[in-house]
Formats: sequence, structure tokens, C-alpha cells
Amino acid sequence: MGSSSYSVLPARALRAVVVLALAAGAVTATPVAEAGTAAPELAAKPYMGWSSWSMQSSKYPGLNPDGDYSYLTEANVLKQTDAMAAKLKKYGYEYVNIDAGWWRDSTWKPGFDAYGRQQADPVRFPSGMKSVADRIHAKGLKAGIYLPAGLEKEAYGAGQVPVRNADGCTTADIVYDDLRTTNGWDSSYKLDFSRPCTQKYIDSQAQLIADWGYDFLKLDGVGPGSGKSGDQYDNVADVAAWNRAIAATGRPVHLELSWSLDIGRVADWKKYSNGWRIDTDVECYCNTLVSWENSVDDRWDDAPGWTRHAGPGGWNDLDALNVGNGEMDGLTKAERQSYATLWAIAKSPLYTGDDLTRLDSYGLSLLTNREVIAVNQGATPPARPVTPSDPQQVWAAKNPDGTYTVALFNLADAPAAVTADWSTLGFTGKAAVRDLWNHENLGTYKNKITQALPAHGSRLFTVTPQGSALTTTAYEAESPANTLSGNASLADCSDCSGGKKVGNLYLGGKLRFNDDVVGKAGTYWIKVAYVSGEARSVDVSTNTGGATRHKLPSTGDWGTSETVSVPVPLKAGSNTVTFDSGTGYAPDIDRIDVPKTS
Amino acid sequence: MDTDRPSDQLPRRRLIALAAMTGALAGLPTFTATAAPQRPADSLLPGGDARHELWWQAPADDRSMIEQGLPVGNGRLGALASNDPGREVLLITDATMWTGGLNDSLDADGQFPYDRENFGSFTLLARLTVDLPDHDLSAVSGYRRALALDQGVVTTSYVRSGVTYRRRIFASRPDDVIVLHFTQSGGGHHTGTLTLEGTHGEGTATSFGAAFPNGLRYGAAVTAYGSGGRVAVEGPRVSFSGCRELTVVVSGGTNYAPDAETGYRDPSLDPERLARTKVRAAAAHSADSLLRTHVADHRALFGQLDVSLGTSSAEQRSLNTWERLKARARDGAPDPELEAAYLQFGRYLMISGSRGSLPLNLQGLWLDGNDPDWMGDYHTDINIQMNYWMADRAGLSACFDALTDYCLAQLPSWTDLTRRHFNDPRNRYRNSTGENAGWTVAISTNPHGGNGWWWHPAGNAWLCTTLWEHYEFTRSSSHLERIYPLLKGACEFWEARLLTTTLPGTSGEVLVADSDWSPEHGPLDAKGITYAQELVWALFGIYCTASAELKKDTGYADTIASLRRKLYLPQVSEKTGWLEEWMSPDNLGETTHRHLSPLVGLFPGDRIRPDGSTPADLVDGATALLTARGMESFGWANAWRSLCWARLKNAENAYQLVVNNLRPSTGGGNGTAPNLFDIYEVSPGRGIFQIDANFGTPAAMLEMLLYSRPGHIELLPALPEAWAESGSLTGAGARGGFVVDLDWRDGRPTRARLRSVGGRTTTVAYGDKIRTVSLQPGGSVTLKDFAR
Repeated sequence: MGSSSYSVLPARALRAVVVLALAAGAVTATPVAEAGTAAPELAAKPYMGWSSWSMQSSKYPGLNPDGDYSYLTEANVLKQTDAMAAKLKKYGYEYVNIDAGWWRDSTWKPGFDAYGRQQADPVRFPSGMKSVADRIHAKGLKAGIYLPAGLEKEAYGAGQVPVRNADGCTTADIVYDDLRTTNGWDSSYKLDFSRPCTQKYIDSQAQLIADWGYDFLKLDGVGPGSGKSGDQYDNVADVAAWNRAIAATGRPVHLELSWSLDIGRVADWKKYSNGWRIDTDVECYCNTLVSWENSVDDRWDDAPGWTRHAGPGGWNDLDALNVGNGEMDGLTKAERQSYATLWAIAKSPLYTGDDLTRLDSYGLSLLTNREVIAVNQGATPPARPVTPSDPQQVWAAKNPDGTYTVALFNLADAPAAVTADWSTLGFTGKAAVRDLWNHENLGTYKNKITQALPAHGSRLFTVTPQGSALTTTAYEAESPANTLSGNASLADCSDCSGGKKVGNLYLGGKLRFNDDVVGKAGTYWIKVAYVSGEARSVDVSTNTGGATRHKLPSTGDWGTSETVSVPVPLKAGSNTVTFDSGTGYAPDIDRIDVPKTS
Repeated sequence: MDTDRPSDQLPRRRLIALAAMTGALAGLPTFTATAAPQRPADSLLPGGDARHELWWQAPADDRSMIEQGLPVGNGRLGALASNDPGREVLLITDATMWTGGLNDSLDADGQFPYDRENFGSFTLLARLTVDLPDHDLSAVSGYRRALALDQGVVTTSYVRSGVTYRRRIFASRPDDVIVLHFTQSGGGHHTGTLTLEGTHGEGTATSFGAAFPNGLRYGAAVTAYGSGGRVAVEGPRVSFSGCRELTVVVSGGTNYAPDAETGYRDPSLDPERLARTKVRAAAAHSADSLLRTHVADHRALFGQLDVSLGTSSAEQRSLNTWERLKARARDGAPDPELEAAYLQFGRYLMISGSRGSLPLNLQGLWLDGNDPDWMGDYHTDINIQMNYWMADRAGLSACFDALTDYCLAQLPSWTDLTRRHFNDPRNRYRNSTGENAGWTVAISTNPHGGNGWWWHPAGNAWLCTTLWEHYEFTRSSSHLERIYPLLKGACEFWEARLLTTTLPGTSGEVLVADSDWSPEHGPLDAKGITYAQELVWALFGIYCTASAELKKDTGYADTIASLRRKLYLPQVSEKTGWLEEWMSPDNLGETTHRHLSPLVGLFPGDRIRPDGSTPADLVDGATALLTARGMESFGWANAWRSLCWARLKNAENAYQLVVNNLRPSTGGGNGTAPNLFDIYEVSPGRGIFQIDANFGTPAAMLEMLLYSRPGHIELLPALPEAWAESGSLTGAGARGGFVVDLDWRDGRPTRARLRSVGGRTTTVAYGDKIRTVSLQPGGSVTLKDFAR
């Protein structure tokens, strides 16, 4: 059986470790902590802050008066810095992150120093990048900066540009002879790290931003990911080089990777960085900052496969949290709350791209809800979908103190009732429910809670069980008592219970559990352990009843088993439960756990 | 004892309420001033029955009103309510809110324009919004809303910060207003704003009035009063703050008048002023008083029929209505109480939407926008007929009158249009005889005397047979007197239209209908289509009966009777084995087409009967055609199929089609929406509301329990296994002039009681057991021995 590699440190201990690390004057960037080991210096918690890109990328009236992306200026960054310090700092927001274009003019023409390193555009940043960082620091905040992966083409300078602090090295010595391009836009020449000069170039870039005093670097266009795959776009070596280069500067600089990183290389991202964007840009590049369909709502599908990889030192980055001003965000109140809820429970970094000088009161309440921030920042694991298959979803995490973080989502376009059944969380009986968004104890609920949610709406609860643990009966997919039909077949699976699963459930392939016994007729939430490298649907039916199609989220790869719960009607006595691929491709099935009572 | 009405068996108190109601029916054709309503003496509100409560755990919002908004209506004035705690939205309609007009300039093809300007469209009257900013849905818990079908009241409740809030919404016929009553317990209050706005650019105001280009004036008004706190008009809105209770009263209407003479207008009526008068008058009474008055009025009609189809499980009962629909589809297990509630919901819609004003159109009385599909019009080739099949069967004969009133008010115009335009040389359906008389309609009709889309020659006959059946159920001689001109005019039309032909290989002359389109597929110009032959055969038959009963025009009735004898009647195709649709052995249309036009003789007609009185090959041909049409259509098409299978005594097919319509509609798919409106997927992912299935399906359910034609009643003709264990039906109308109460157990009737509402003699059958019953009008008899 798969289980999250996450392990929880008590909050107090975590702080103590951080303090010790700082006191010892740690001079190397701490690599991402392995599970359960000492807390990392950087990204012990998902970082919180602001990023310039959402406003840069928007066509919202007035934001970019001098052409696309022209929002990014020293004046605007400092204005946001002041607003963050005044309104958000006390809630934990600390990073002010300058995104793409700081070295480019209004026509997007870049500027480089004598060593092929990006230099501040004098119109955007007349005081220079160091001055901006200083002024951010003066507010008690941290400064973030941005670079694309590879050697930008315009920095190549016919291969003649010297690399700083690297005797005799020029730009010709750090790329491939064929000048193959790389990154998500093919805007750079790929760096050849088999050549000794290459690390020096990265070192020189890292030293520059460390000298300026930056605390955070977003490295963008990184592959595999950023819409690219294959050797040419494999930037793992770049990321490793950056990890080394940052360590060598002696300055702790948080390294964040973007975008749509390949989950197949997650071990590398965890090893070398502090966070990775799991998905494409959340921004809509339209008249608002974002829109629900383009592409906030994708995250509910895309986050589950990554959940187990989040932890102290490195987090799944769902991108900017633009919920601060409904009109600019282009979202309803309900959508904004759901957006903030998912980011909080998935333990995504919480950085907003809103205009912090124009937060509306509802937006401010979303960004500064201490109970919700505590879910994100506390020493609790990220939530996963427990009943994912309808537009009405329940996500949950079991906390170290025995409580559960439970989020209800209605992803449908119309209001709907959403129910969290306690049996899907693993217990029965009563539980106390606290509503985190509304700072209200809702009382005690027996067996389940049902709430009305608006279209695209959500609720976020802390549920404290008062009943007893659920007892279940396990039925392994590989049991000889089951009936396999079509192409369905047994396969080995080290992460699966019993070491086996039933796969090849496609185009009519079917798995039938033949003898699932319950004492009483009713609707039972059965927990399905399954393996699926992508989101896949399966038709679930019992006995002779009709099937219900459930979409199960990706488990990240074809070797990892996760669980979700689905409701099925069972009769007293023996039942069959069938997983049918129908006309499509279904996940592999590991096991089902059937509650002893409905 | 007066013996004219079924209501005579009611307890004294309900009788009074009903008399007040029926008295109002005759005097309330439009939005008009009325005398102060009679208020019930009872101080206690009668409790609702849990069986009749539909409930949900989520509200509607602006984007989902047609699937989730809850309908209320007083027979003329209606609304869909969102029941969102933070923003109550009512989309308000008036049945007479119609653009367009006479539409008497034919298109180049001799047919009628079918657009929103000339033909016109049913359209919204107003939008009422009550904003309670602190009651955002995401901030409340324990949300619940319910529609009490027996009370006619929508109730919403939820908890906000420890205070339980409750609001009631109802559309009162006696007070001619819609009332919203906001209450709370636990020391809370209501603060927010109230906005009434026109939906045609009239802006926001506490009252407004305007007119369409067709001259129709309309208007609406709102008022509010609270206890505690403050209610004040602020600019175009009403604001309220700190109110322990709040009552909002809204009314509106048009100056439509059902009279061709006046161009369908009452020029003296100022709708805005009248609306203001009405809300002011209602606001003089407490919300409780308005509620009690409304509930008494509603219950008098609702209580006319009761039905039990068996007992549902505790788990089924624990589910909200939407979950229950989903479970019904998922688990495949019958949910008899849900199915009975679905039937009662159809009755609720009829009580709410068809009382004294215009009849129920394609969307009944309810809209979510200004531009409904097919204009929300009156479709005469199945839809308006289906809307009214249920009424008499379901104890709602009083609701039928809206259809009669409508046809009579349109008749002068329909006659005029037929005379002036039917034989237009461009009209492919014109009479090739060159003669022209009487009246007919197009496929679509509006309330301004106008037709839309294509001529529909047989539409007149189908309207007439529908009106006639109401007479068969009620034996109301005044109704017969009223519809007689319609019957006669339709006969005159067909007398001028029928063609004499000789069938191949025979010497016998027959009469066939001129070129026509069997709705809505196959050849456009076919002579002798089954649809027309069957309907004209039925029309001629009822005309002769009407003439005899009224002792009118007996000479003309002889003429019609002789024409009828020469009418060609459809054959069974040797090629397909199906009852022919086009006087051809070939299948010229779509095999699984939605319409069952060639089966009008099976349902609603009686010519094709599976009881040995009809040649077996004809019954087999009809059965084969029905089988070929399939079981997987949508809404009204499924309902019609179900009715036909019920007539063929195939209980399981009939039931399966009911079940098919009960499938939950998601993503615009065919089936039943959360609010139980029937949704038809017109294109992938785009579902629209068409109300006909909400009436046709209950009609089918009743037809499965009780078959009747004048002189013959059958008990449980098509009782499905799902309902067989035990059940009862009380107050069901039977053709021939009876009302039937029926109990059954283990699939057999245990007791049947017949009351005569004008009928005298009938046979009553269960299986091959047949009894003959003779009653005086008003008399009753109980039969107990069918199961033995």
C-alpha cells in the first residue's frame, strides 16, 4: 500500500530546528529535506508573498500602459512592497517576487552585462536591482527575482562574451556547438554542463543575484516540462547547477522551478529545488488576471498526482493566488474562496498576483484568514481527494492531532449540496465541525455533513472525530475469487497491498469482486486503492444495478497506489462489485475496503 | 343536492373555498381588479404532508434557474425562485406577457413568419432580487429548501451565526400577488436591499409600466414591510435594515384581454397602477393572513386527487429530492413515493399555471430568459394537447378551462386567417378543391389571434378532440355549448378540404385529407396521412354526438356522418407490419421519430383498442409501429409512448418510459432537472425546459391505473410490478362522467368507488371481470369483489 512519504514534525520542534540552523550560521543552501529528517532552512513551509506576473500578463485596463508586460517597474514593485508590508506581512506574507522582464525594455529587448548576465532595464528599474532588494528588505520582507533556463540567445554575443571569474571561458564554451536551443520558449541556447566553463556561468549569475541581496529565484521554462520533453529540453542539469551555485554564494536563496514540471523527474526537483510549478500558468492573459476555466479549475485535476511529493523543503506550486479583488481577478466570490481553499489544503505556496493596493474587503478576508493560513503553514500534510469523481468533491487530510482537514468543493456550474461522509475519512459516529472560513463552530454532525455550495464553491472544515474507527473488510483485486474479463490481467505492483494489482482494464476489460458481504442493505462508501498514471474513469456497479462512472485522479505514475471512496448500493448478504472500463481506459485496481456498516 | 360537480362530495368547509375559487374563475380572465378575497376563518395553518414535500439541500443561482429555480404561480402570475440565502431572485412571468401580434402577412411560401417580432414570444415580466449581503451561501450552514406541493409554498431555511432564518414564498390567487416572507428565530435580523427591475430595459423602480410595439401594456409593482428595523424606498430600490421579519409583496400583469373584438387588449387597464393597487391592498394584511388565504385556496384544488403507489424505503426517504432521483436511476429500484410525488408535482404545476388566464404553453408559466425556444408558444401538433391530458384525469378539471377559453378567444381570428389566407396559391397545403371554410391553425399559435410557422390543417381537429374529452370527463353541458362552434367550424373546414379518391384495385370511393405533413417528419405533401384521417374521423364522430346532445344542426350532422363513413382509415403495411403513416407501405420517415402521429387513434383516441373490438391486425400494426419507435426518446415523446403502451396494457413498457423520464438530467441531458422540470437536450449539452412531459408523464401514470372511455372503465389496466404491492388512487376522473377511487393490493383492486359527476351507466372491468354500474348524477357506488 502506498502511503504518503510525508511525516510531520511538531510545529515547535520545527521552529527550533530553523533557529538552530540560522544560529549555526549555515552557509550552504540546505538541500530538500528527506522525509522525517531535520527541517530545511528554506521552504520549511510553503512560502507566502506576491508576484508581479499576474498583473504583467493581464489586459486589465490600465495595468500595462506601455505595452505588454510593462506593469513591471521599480515603482510598482515598491508600491506593492509597501502594501504588503502594511496589510499582509503580519499574516506571514514575506516574498516580493519580480517576475520576467526586469532586464528587458518595453519592446522586450533584453540587456546584459559584460559577462552575459541579465542586467536591469534602466527604464523599468532606474535604481537597479540591488536598490530594489534593499528597499524590500527595509520593510522586513524578502526579495525574489526571475531568470529563464539556459543561456539567453541575445547573451551569446557570437560566443565571445567572457564568463565572469572563469579564466578564458566565453559563451562559446558553455553551450553546444550546434547551438541547440532549450527551455519552454526555445529562447535560450542549451547549456552543456559537460564543459567546465558552464557551471561558472551559473555561478556568476547566482553570485550576482546574491550580491544584490535576493532571497528567491524563479527559474522558468524548465524542462522536462514547460511544454517540452526530450534531451534538448532536459534542464535537470541546469537546476542542479543552480543548486550548487546558490550554495556556493553562501546566501540562502529559495529556488522555485516553473512551469508544468514533468512529474517523472520529481525526485530531481525535490533534490535540487524548493518548489515546482505543477501546472501551466494560472493567468488567463485576458481582461482579468485569471478566469475560472482558464485556468484555475485545472488544478483540481492536476494536483492529486503530486500530493505525496510535497513536504518541508519542497512544495507543489499551484501558481499565483489571485483572489484579492473580484473585479480584477475575474472570479466570483465563491470561486475566489475555492481557489484559496485548494491552495491552502494542497499546501501550495501562497503568493498573490493581485494589486495589493486595491484589495477589496472580501479579498483581504480571504488572504488574511488566520485559520486557513494555519492549514497551509501548519505542520500538517496536504489534502487529497477522498471522493473525487463528481463535480462535487471532498478533499481531506488526517492531521497529527487526530483531526481532519476537510474541504468540500462544488466544481459544477450550478449550486449543489456536497456531503462528506465520515466513513470516507475512516471513522463513524459523531464529529465536531469547525468552519474555518467563517470562524464558526457548526456543532456536532453524525456520520456526515452536507452543505449547500454555490457554483464553483467550497467549504473548509476542521473535523474532530468523536466516534469510533471504521471497520472494513479488505478485498484484494488479485484474489482468485474475483472474475476478470476482457483483457484484464494481474500485474506486479510493489506499492500495492499483496504486491499485485489488476490492470489492462481497457475497452471492455472488467474486474468483478464476487463476494462482498455486508450485514445490512444500504449505500456504502467503499475505498478503492488504485494505480493510474493519469486521471481515468471507470464504471462501478454492484449486483445487477446500473453503473456509475467515476473519474479517479492520477496517482502520479503507474507504480503508486492511492485511494478514493465511491458510494455503492449493497444488499444484505453477498454482493458483487464490478469495475468496468467500458469503452475507455480505466485505472488499475489494487484493492477495495468495504465498511462493515453503511 | 346539486349534482353537477365532483366537488359536491367534499366536506363543507372545503366546498366553500372551492366555490369561491370557481366563482373567481369565471370572472378573472386577465389581470384585473377583484373584490377582497374571502379569508379563511381558521387561525391555524393546516400542516403539510411529508409525502407532498420535495426538498433540496442547495439553492439555484442566476445560471441555473430553469433547472433549479422553484416554480410558484397563481394561474396567471408566476415566478421561478432561486432561494439563495444571500440573493433571492425571482424571475417573474405573466401568462399574457407576449410580444408579436396577428402575424397575418404570409411568407413567400404561403406559411407564417415564425419570429419574435411578428409572431411574437412569451417573455419575462420582471426580475425581483432580495439581497442579504451577510447571508452569503458560503457563510450559512444547514441549508434546506422545500416545495410543499399540497400547500403551494416554497420554504427556505438555514443557519447564519447561530440564528435560524426561514423564508416562505407563495403566489396567491385570492390576493393576486406573490409574497415573500422572511422570518428568523434566535435574535437575528434582515438587512439588505430589494430590487424590482423590468427585463426589457425598463430599469429599476418600485413599480414600472411600459408597452411593447404590439401595444400590449404591462407593469409590475413591489412593496415591503417589516417588523423592527427600518424599511425605506431609497432611489429605485427598497432598503431594509434590522428587520426581525420582512414581507415583500409583488404583483404585475398586462392589459391583455381574451377578446378578438378589442384586438386582445383592454384599453382602459393601466397595469402598473393596478399592480400598485394590488400590492398595497395585500400589504394591508399580515403575511400569515396572506399565507392562510393562499393555502386554503391551493388546497381546495390540490386535495381533489390523492395517489399512493406503494411505500419507499427509509433510505430513500432520507434523501433529498435530487439525490433521490439520482439514486432511483443508479440503483434501478422503484421509489414509489418519489414517483407519486412526481405525479403530484405535475398537478402542482397545473394548479400554479392554468387558472383563468392563458393556458400552459411550451414552458408552462416559467422562464429563465426573455427568448424561450420556440417562443414558448402553443404547439398544436402534440404539446398543448399533452399539457391538458392530465387535468381531468387528475382531479383538475377546473384547470382545463384555460385551454377552452383560449381557443374560443382565438376562434374569430383563426377563422378570419383561414378564410383570408389558407387557400393562398403559395400555400402548399391549400385546398385543391378550391373551397375554403371554417377554421384551422398553424403548428404554432400565439394569444393575439396569430399563427406561426407552417399551416397545420389537422390541428383544428386535435384541438377539438382535446376539448371534447373534457366534456366526456365532466359531462358539463355548458362546456359542450361553448366548444360547439369550434367543433362545427372544424367540420366545415374538413368538409371543404376532403378529396374523393379511389383506392388502387378497388372501385370504392374514399375521402382523404389533402396534402399535409405528418408531424414533423417524412414527406411534406402527402395525401391521406394517418394523422389527419384519424383526427378527422374522431372530429366527425364527436361533432355528431355533440349535435345530437345539443339538438343542434341535425341536418348538418347527417352530412358529416356520411362524410365520416367514407373516410379512408389507415391500413397496416405489408412491408413493415406497421400501421401506415402516409397511405404507403413504405417507411418514408424516421423510424424512431419522436412523434407518434399515426398512433393518435391509440392514444389519445380510442379507435384502436386491444380488447377484441378492433381488428387484431390493426392492434398488431399499431403495436409494431410503437415498438419500432423505441423506448429511448425524451420527455413528451416518452410520455406519449408510455400512454400508448398503457393503452396496450403493457405495464412494464409504460412504466419503463416513466422511469426514463425520471432519469436525472445532468449537463443538459434528457430527463428530470433538480427542480423536476423536464429537460430536452436539443443539441449536445444544451438542455431546454419543455413542460409537456411534466403533464404527459403523470397522465401516463394515471392511464396505467385507470382506463376510461364513455361507458367503459378499466381498473389497473397496466399496473407495473413496481406499484403492485399496494396503492390507492382517490379522485381520478373517468370519461363518461365519473370520479373513481381505487385501492389495490398484490396487483388487484380491493375496492373501487365510483361517483357520478354526470355519468349514468358504465361498465367497470378488471381483467375479464366486468360489472355494469348505473348511477344518478351525484350518486356513488363501491365495488369490492374484483380481486376474487
